[in-house]
Amino acid sequence: MRNIGATKFLIIIFIANIIESLLAPQLINFYLSIPVTFLIFSFAIFRSSKKLNPLLAFSCGLYVDLISSSPFGLNAGIFTIMSYAISIYANTFKLFSYIQICIFFGISTVFYVGFKNLIMNLENFSYLLLFVSFLINILLFLLLSMLRYYFPSMSIRYD
Amino acid sequence: MSRVVPTSGSKLLYFFFVCISGLFLYIDLNYKSFEGIKNFYQSFVISSKYLVNKATVEPIIFLYEVTKDKSDLINENKKLKLELDKSYISNFIISNDSKFFADDEAIKNFLKLNNIEEVFYLAKLQYFDAEMYLCCSKHRAFIQTYNSNNNHIGSPVVNQDGIIGQIIYGNSLSEVLLLTDIDHVLPVVSGDHFCNAKGSGKPETIICKYNNKLWQQKVAIGQNFYSSGMGGIYPKGILVGKVKEIREVEENFTEFEIHLISNPLASNIVGILESL
Repeated sequence: MRNIGATKFLIIIFIANIIESLLAPQLINFYLSIPVTFLIFSFAIFRSSKKLNPLLAFSCGLYVDLISSSPFGLNAGIFTIMSYAISIYANTFKLFSYIQICIFFGISTVFYVGFKNLIMNLENFSYLLLFVSFLINILLFLLLSMLRYYFPSMSIRYD
Repeated sequence: MSRVVPTSGSKLLYFFFVCISGLFLYIDLNYKSFEGIKNFYQSFVISSKYLVNKATVEPIIFLYEVTKDKSDLINENKKLKLELDKSYISNFIISNDSKFFADDEAIKNFLKLNNIEEVFYLAKLQYFDAEMYLCCSKHRAFIQTYNSNNNHIGSPVVNQDGIIGQIIYGNSLSEVLLLTDIDHVLPVVSGDHFCNAKGSGKPETIICKYNNKLWQQKVAIGQNFYSSGMGGIYPKGILVGKVKEIREVEENFTEFEIHLISNPLASNIVGILESL
């Protein structure tokens, strides 16, 4: 994901959106939401060593809005905010442990899911969904971060 | 190299894009202004799927269908052959229905009483030692039913010509004791002449031995013998065979051979009748 090309990134986002649309109907039965597209975008931004461009985040968000049939501006806004948050804390993350980073992304996920539900699904807004998603997503990120013990090439290197 | 924290200009740019996003969201939710773009994208996706499907999946399915047609035809042919064999056996049952059952009501009552959908089960010959059949005294056949897993021990087995034997052992395969096996005894009758015909150990031949002081009626060559139903296994009145040879064996005892009308080698499809 480090400095990935724009075309490749858009294709990855497109595939992630398909996976998310397939997973969501099953996961919602367990009061769980895993926003795969958002997480992949966040991870790409997080790992990028370049200076982040707000236009890129905004455009990417609009693209996700288009392919996921969300209201225009919803993902664009959230992606821009996420990009800004990661830029602000870019150097602070170096001081964080993996668990702190996982909690940060868990909170971001809950914020994303909650905000999306507020806009698109207010009638079925559920705190239980947010709570379960928060716990499960953090657990999932911890498990993913443990992969570096088995695949050392996946570990994050700070320049 | 460490990443540069957003400058005031960048922050302003972020703020600007967040505001633009908010504006887009407001416009979309209230005025549905972007419906056209969304519909265009959706129609593009659907058209692309259709074209890709036409260009890739459908030709493959077509090729598959072409190859499958041949095997379908073979299967259809097998199915028709099976149906034909089944109809032969049905014909036998129908042409002898008055022997199996007194009348139509009796058939209905019998089927209803035993929860039976058909009067016979179709079975396929799985193993038959023709060499043993032609040379020796042990005449057995092994059959397997197509649909039913019921225990058919004691049930008569018929083919399109007539009775060929009865089931004596049943598991996954059923063992049929043929009429010509030396262990088999079939009560037969012709007019008032009753006799227990034993298997001769020779193909298509059973032997009857009787006391000619007891049964004074003469038996003639070519005389028809029918099942008497006295054994409780086979239905009464089914044509079994014709007398082909008569001989005096002991004092007061006459023996005659009956040539069976049914040949177990005639067909590899047989019917198992419900025990009557």
